[in-house]
Amino acid sequence: MSKDYHCSIENIRNFSIIAHIDHGKSTIADRLLEFTGTISEREKREQILDDMDLEREKGITIKSKAVRLYYQSKDGKKYILNLIDTPGHVDFSYEVSRSLAACEGALLIVDASQGVQAQTIANINLALKSNLKIIPIINKIDLTSANPDRVIQEVKSISEIKEEEIILASAKEGIGTSDILEEIVNKIPPPKGNSNLPLRALIFDSVYNSYKGTIVYVKVVDGVIKPGMVIQTMSNNIKYEVVEIGIFRPKMQPIKKLTAGEVGYIIAGFKNIKDTQVGDTIIDASNPSQESLPGYKKVTPLVFCSIYPIDNKEYENLKIAIEKLKLNDSSLFSEAETSEALGFGFRCGFLGLLHMEIIQERLEREYDLGLIATTPSVMYQVTKKNGEKLKISNPSSFPSKNDIGKIEEPYVKVNIITPSKCVGGIMELVQVRRGSFKNMEYIDEKILRLDYELPLNEIILDFYDKLKSISSGYASLDYEIIGYQPSELEKVDILVNHQLVDALSFIVHKDKAYTRGRKIVEKLKEIIPRQMYEVPLQATIESKIIARETIKALKKDVTAKCYGGDITRKRKLLEKQKAGKKRMKKVGKVEIPQEAFLGILKI
Amino acid sequence: MKLGLYLHFPFCLSKCPYCDFNSYQLKEDNQITSYISALYQEINAYSQKLKKNNITTIYLGGGTPTILSGVQIYSILEFCRDKFNIDKNAEITIEANPGTLDSEKLKLIIESGINRLSLGAQSFNNVFLKILGRIHNTKSIIDSYFLAREIGFSNINIDIMFALPGQTSEDLQATLKKAISLKPDHLSLYNLTVKPGTEYYKKYKKGKLRLPNEDEEFEMYNWAMHFLKENNFEHYEIANFARSNKRSEHNLLYWQNKPYLGIGAGAFSFIRGYRYMNYENPVSYIKEIMKGKLPIDNGEKLSLRKRMIETIILGLRTKDGVGYKQFKTRFGVSLSDIFSETINKLVNLGLLQKDNYRIKLTKKGIFLANTVFREFVD
Repeated sequence: MSKDYHCSIENIRNFSIIAHIDHGKSTIADRLLEFTGTISEREKREQILDDMDLEREKGITIKSKAVRLYYQSKDGKKYILNLIDTPGHVDFSYEVSRSLAACEGALLIVDASQGVQAQTIANINLALKSNLKIIPIINKIDLTSANPDRVIQEVKSISEIKEEEIILASAKEGIGTSDILEEIVNKIPPPKGNSNLPLRALIFDSVYNSYKGTIVYVKVVDGVIKPGMVIQTMSNNIKYEVVEIGIFRPKMQPIKKLTAGEVGYIIAGFKNIKDTQVGDTIIDASNPSQESLPGYKKVTPLVFCSIYPIDNKEYENLKIAIEKLKLNDSSLFSEAETSEALGFGFRCGFLGLLHMEIIQERLEREYDLGLIATTPSVMYQVTKKNGEKLKISNPSSFPSKNDIGKIEEPYVKVNIITPSKCVGGIMELVQVRRGSFKNMEYIDEKILRLDYELPLNEIILDFYDKLKSISSGYASLDYEIIGYQPSELEKVDILVNHQLVDALSFIVHKDKAYTRGRKIVEKLKEIIPRQMYEVPLQATIESKIIARETIKALKKDVTAKCYGGDITRKRKLLEKQKAGKKRMKKVGKVEIPQEAFLGILKI
Repeated sequence: MKLGLYLHFPFCLSKCPYCDFNSYQLKEDNQITSYISALYQEINAYSQKLKKNNITTIYLGGGTPTILSGVQIYSILEFCRDKFNIDKNAEITIEANPGTLDSEKLKLIIESGINRLSLGAQSFNNVFLKILGRIHNTKSIIDSYFLAREIGFSNINIDIMFALPGQTSEDLQATLKKAISLKPDHLSLYNLTVKPGTEYYKKYKKGKLRLPNEDEEFEMYNWAMHFLKENNFEHYEIANFARSNKRSEHNLLYWQNKPYLGIGAGAFSFIRGYRYMNYENPVSYIKEIMKGKLPIDNGEKLSLRKRMIETIILGLRTKDGVGYKQFKTRFGVSLSDIFSETINKLVNLGLLQKDNYRIKLTKKGIFLANTVFREFVD
């Protein structure tokens, strides 16, 4: 491992790597770590083992999020490079932007065969917004399908980037690594800041570790921070003594101080992750700086769903599990709620659908909970006739039609990059989803960029899946919220065996209410197994039935043959079926399988 | 202690596309001879251990036991009598495929002491016989049946399958009417179930097997139950109908959860609370035997609770149901103490009936037997 050293702010470089999913971000990062001796070949293998050993100390994967590299450039100067990792999915563009705020430059990775994708454009825009110097890299040039010339043209057509700035690399083969490091030190400016001024450090992330408590990731902009100092954040007056400060190499390594321009972590006995809001400024309590750093907008969840335990007895466990996840995920929103059909549970808010799926999966896998998640919804703004304004993310709290003056729903600007031959299908899809066309541009003769505005509600469920299937996987998508627009929406309720199942209610545009209601009762008829008696299914708007189906009573459920050896197998099969029934949610007298709550809207 | 004896013959002339039994298409005749000598060795191995047991029923099943020659069948029975203590009045059944019978073979079968014949007819409609991949046609069923009667079989069962691909209720009615016209002593009626690993399963997964739906199946089974009752058949088990006390004694042992010994590839035994299974593949089975071992692949010692549950779900299959007294004698605890909640729930749902002596399925319960059984299992 390379030897630690300090250097002046002129020789510090803070950068991120931004890329569309699978364009090779982590492989590039691995090469940089190896090339600078941060991780040796031997250690790289060992680290995998460490991960297993230290699994209970969850911090390890997160620690590599802001790694310090020591690099001596070709002209002999010594540098400190801080690589600040960012997530790669559109749901997490908020997190990307806050990581970028701690940087002065960014490596933009584009796959040499896939070329420019929707997220490439979104990433460039984010980087430019944060005034970052972009170092463009075309990766995977070793692939037989690579076409760097085409991709260079694409990059040029979507940005101001010049051909001679672009580095051709293959992280897999180690091609271009040294060029990348030279570009980082030569092109990315050093951070601006002054160690002699009062302390100002930007919190760009925070994690909870059960041994060490809350660990905050900071970039020191001005001043110096040392253990023993008493600090506070700009937004509240609670004072903490710094217990430990350090850097990531990539494991946590305590050091004596962090000075202006440096990136590292602080442990200061923060009681609650809420006390260390990402985007806040840390200052010296005894010499407080008066000027806060530009923070971030508070993260707002876009997608909401309710999460209930299948077994009501598991409510407490679910509550504890959600609280634990929130410690490490400040973007997760939750509040307790009660459903007539499902009992006690939580209304949760997420950054997007992927975020929602990850949380659900973690709750089920890491906490061994059997869950029912309701169909995702967005946040509506309702103005009642009496002038009262409501924000509604849960269909069950939607006011009665008579009371509603105006409803608005969130819209997004969607940017799709697609081969031109798929445009027809995409236009059709967007039209069905109530989208309006805004712009179209050629990136090259075969690749197009399309801009649309759509209601967020129309893209949260399966828009991405549909887009991928229309384009045989080639089209890519990025979106950003552009605000609320008035809309004519209705709430549709579903009755199973004459009982309202509030968790199945949904909000839909009035033109689609009838078709959607019909399709859902049809789908429920397929999903809900026959019961001992006839079960009527109804879709209603304001108590008016718009669709009806009937699940016939179970008539025949008997296995004809059962002799000698069959009995063991048969008993085991019955046991398995019984366990399966236990995973269903009993609403009134009817057993409803889990998939009914999420699966039905994917129609 | 009384004991049933089952002998398995895993060979067929051809494998039917719906069949998931332990059976294989016969490639050459010496497969049979080496298999029989393995059977002899397995019987030998149990001979001493079971000297004290009285064998009250024997069942030769398959595969196709009648793929063997008459002499082979005769010798096996002779060998069994030599090695085991077989009751004089034992019911001895052989499963027979109509395509494999002739008068000489039937004579040797009856001389061997076999007194019950189970004919795998499956249908009396040549179109469905072809769909099922059977090697026989309607004519060969009828010929075999009368030949067996002529030679002296006084207890004959006919197997019928229903819910076949494309079958209507009328089709089944025609088949059952023909079957009844032969005046068999016993009739087994099974619905086709598509099992993984079969040709039908592959077709089914591809959506190429059009099977009757639940309502149509209900219709067929319901009609059959009434029709057979009108024709003086006793519906004594979910899939089995008997005339004038001609219930299958051997199969009743299974439903009463009584002990039995299984000999041959893939055969199950249930002795002293152990249920175990032999190697299914005839080659592995023979190999184990040749090593001088019992060819047991796997098994389990059933807990008291599992034995109780199995006794209930097997007993409920029969018209006799599960008797309180028998249950108490067998397990030392009372049925209504342990399962009172489940029993009451099912009685309230109209699936179970109880009187002073027993619990049994109601007519509705027969159709929904698995729903009932699921309530009893853990």
